[in-house]
Amino acid sequence: MSISLKTVQNKPEPVAYSEAALRNNAIVMEYCRTSMAALSGSTAGVLGLTGLNGFAFYMFSVIILWAMFLVKAGPNWKKYYVSRQSLLTNGFLGALFTYVLFWTFIYGMVHVY
Amino acid sequence: MAELLLDPKIRFWVFLPIVVITFLVGLVRHYVSIILSSHKKIELLQVQDSQVMIRARLLRENGKYLPRQSFAMRRHWFNNEDTGYFKVQKRTSNAQNPMTDPGMMTDMLKGNLTNVLPMIVIGGWINWMFSGFLTTKVPFPLTLRFKPMLQRGVELAYLDASWVSSASWYFLNVFGLRTIYTLVLGENNAADQSKVMQDQMSGAAMAMPPDPKAAFKAEWEALEITEHKWALATVDTDLLTAE
Amino acid sequence: MSFYKIILTVGFISLFHSAFSAAQHRSYLRITSQEFTTLPLDIVIQAVGSLFLLMWGVLNVAGNLREIQAAAELNNKTWETQKNIPSFYIFNHRLKAMSPYYVPNEGKGDLENLE
Repeated sequence: MSISLKTVQNKPEPVAYSEAALRNNAIVMEYCRTSMAALSGSTAGVLGLTGLNGFAFYMFSVIILWAMFLVKAGPNWKKYYVSRQSLLTNGFLGALFTYVLFWTFIYGMVHVY
Repeated sequence: MAELLLDPKIRFWVFLPIVVITFLVGLVRHYVSIILSSHKKIELLQVQDSQVMIRARLLRENGKYLPRQSFAMRRHWFNNEDTGYFKVQKRTSNAQNPMTDPGMMTDMLKGNLTNVLPMIVIGGWINWMFSGFLTTKVPFPLTLRFKPMLQRGVELAYLDASWVSSASWYFLNVFGLRTIYTLVLGENNAADQSKVMQDQMSGAAMAMPPDPKAAFKAEWEALEITEHKWALATVDTDLLTAE
Repeated sequence: MSFYKIILTVGFISLFHSAFSAAQHRSYLRITSQEFTTLPLDIVIQAVGSLFLLMWGVLNVAGNLREIQAAAELNNKTWETQKNIPSFYIFNHRLKAMSPYYVPNEGKGDLENLE
């Protein structure tokens, strides 16, 4: 009995997460990310970025969105998300596709013709 | 490679319409599928059956917390040879299957109607109406391997690979706009989720096996061989001696 | 219409305006047959600024975050909600005989046959 007590004291207390809330937050983040991809793709198209510049702009806006998210969540972001890193990296490639589509679209609308 | 100059009319009469058409067709398809989706009608008998099955299963699993007499009473209600629920109920198993099959058929047909048919019809229409245009140029260099993908309908060997033909632009839109649909139709997705929560009660009824007769028989057997072992027989001493 | 929706609208209009300006600039360059290097600085600033505006608006429109710790949600629920356990719902019990619409039917092996 004492052994088990000791192990309990050594381990950090397990935290139970509410799955519905996790999913809700993930949906919010996904919404922001898709919007961000579409909007920044449009902006990149307006600016007429080509080649690597455009992808660099994507990185830039992903990081900006992340920073804005942390600012919005405030110092107690741990209440809403498990990890900050996964906020940055989740859905990176899926949003990239949206970004490229909008980039191509607006670039075509503004600069090609 | 010399810079190509496209007619600005292509922008407003080919390039933009393809995007708008693809997007609106996606929206219409979403709402049509909502209209066509038939709410599965749950019959009262089915709900009753499934609830009885649930109760029998609960009795099997948690019967050990009941006194022996109570357990026997409940089992008697289910399993008695003359009056037991599982014995008395006469469910026709075969009569239901032809009833459910047409429903399944129409469901599949509707799925095809809303998913495959627009793809073929609209895709064919776009190919016929807007074929042979160069619409845009992707703003990054691509290798020659992308040529067949991006320049369907325009077979020019010396064209730079980053130009996109109208047919390919349509396909890019079809695949790329999916995420935007979730953005625009997000409210519906949320509504679906709350509906799932509501359906939790009747969800058990949906899980009812198609053949209630066999399910009843299996449950009857399982209940019959369940041995009652009262878990609380020594509860007083357990409580007092612990710690 | 909330404040952030207004921000979103303003951002969209501003982004669209900068796109239109850029297209005008491009056609101007083409007519005067100059080479395109970069956009004028004011268009760039307007586009990037409206992007920031839009992102901030979207972040605030997207919806509220919920606390993920299970206890945080449970704290707000009342005991009435907690004790509601659907598995214990029983609708087919003998009280149904009290209903004015109740029609006793034999041969179904229901509870009333036993009692």
